[in-house]
Amino acid sequence: MSMHVLLKRKRLIQACMVACVVGLSGCASKSYVVLLPDEDGSVGKVVVNNAQGTTVLQAPREGAQLGGAAGKTFVVEQAQIDRDFGVALAASPRKPATYLLYFETGGAALTAVSQADLPRIRDDIKGRPAPDISVIGHTDTAGDAEANYKLGLKRAQQVVDLLGKTNLSPERITVDSHGERNLLVKTPDGIDEPRNRRVEVNVR
Amino acid sequence: MLKHLCMGMAIAVGTMGGALADDTIIGFVKTADGEANLVVAGKIVKAQPGTPVQRKDVLKTGKPGSLGITLKDNTLLSIGPDTELVIEEFLYAPAKGDFKLGANVRKGSLNYVSGMVAKLKPDVVNVRTPTGTIGVRGTHFVVAVTED
Repeated sequence: MSMHVLLKRKRLIQACMVACVVGLSGCASKSYVVLLPDEDGSVGKVVVNNAQGTTVLQAPREGAQLGGAAGKTFVVEQAQIDRDFGVALAASPRKPATYLLYFETGGAALTAVSQADLPRIRDDIKGRPAPDISVIGHTDTAGDAEANYKLGLKRAQQVVDLLGKTNLSPERITVDSHGERNLLVKTPDGIDEPRNRRVEVNVR
Repeated sequence: MLKHLCMGMAIAVGTMGGALADDTIIGFVKTADGEANLVVAGKIVKAQPGTPVQRKDVLKTGKPGSLGITLKDNTLLSIGPDTELVIEEFLYAPAKGDFKLGANVRKGSLNYVSGMVAKLKPDVVNVRTPTGTIGVRGTHFVVAVTED
């Protein structure tokens, strides 16, 4: 094949790719993915794998065709994102909120500060459409692991009881304990650490 | 005899595990508009805020239609019109270190905002489409799948 024909073919492929990006017909595939910034403005990373290889997206509004050539990316205009994804984006559920409540040593008694946080959590639950929550108990490393698992569960159940009248049916409340396995502050075993004695409440 | 008993128990436990996995609620519908349904074991169920979602349910919208769900690890998934999405795998057991999230977009548009699974174990998150698979590294993306 002559250089001339090769160049011509390359131009044709490029023209087709541009056509795909602007949404014109006549291409093999218009399916594509676009990386968007997170709510806090940070940008993650997306990897696309297909029969032709791997493509990495790491800039805001960087896109790639799902069936496209490896490494081939393009910038997607906001207008196109609004057109192709406006409805899906508008249908996004509210971002879940996470609250941490802290406990006095050795038992399921909330600290006074955390006790005062309960109304705020209750209001958040009531303010959401069709809410569900998960309540996960944690302990510090004082005491043995098995006892701490049970203590974590006791703390989580205590928070559920204290939240009280939220009108959540049982299937909308997940209660669990991680015992001393998920420390907020890493410590050796047998350490009394107030920041590890906590219950995490996720409101969705 | 003991051997048979053990095998019987193993089968019973195995079956129970399977049944449990399929009954487990992995999330809830939070937004629904227009024609928005779940296909649960072949049956069409109208999706409304609060409808529970289980693994392998098909989230299906018409035109116009949209649907948004929140999974138990705080992952947000919302779809636009004329879309079919299935959560094929979901495991969120931080106490055991078990994490998995596998979804399949057959057609339409999806908005994905990652939750705890992607944060704690990003390499187990996969969004499959007919032409390619998207791997997630703690992030927000949109994907459109058209039937060619």
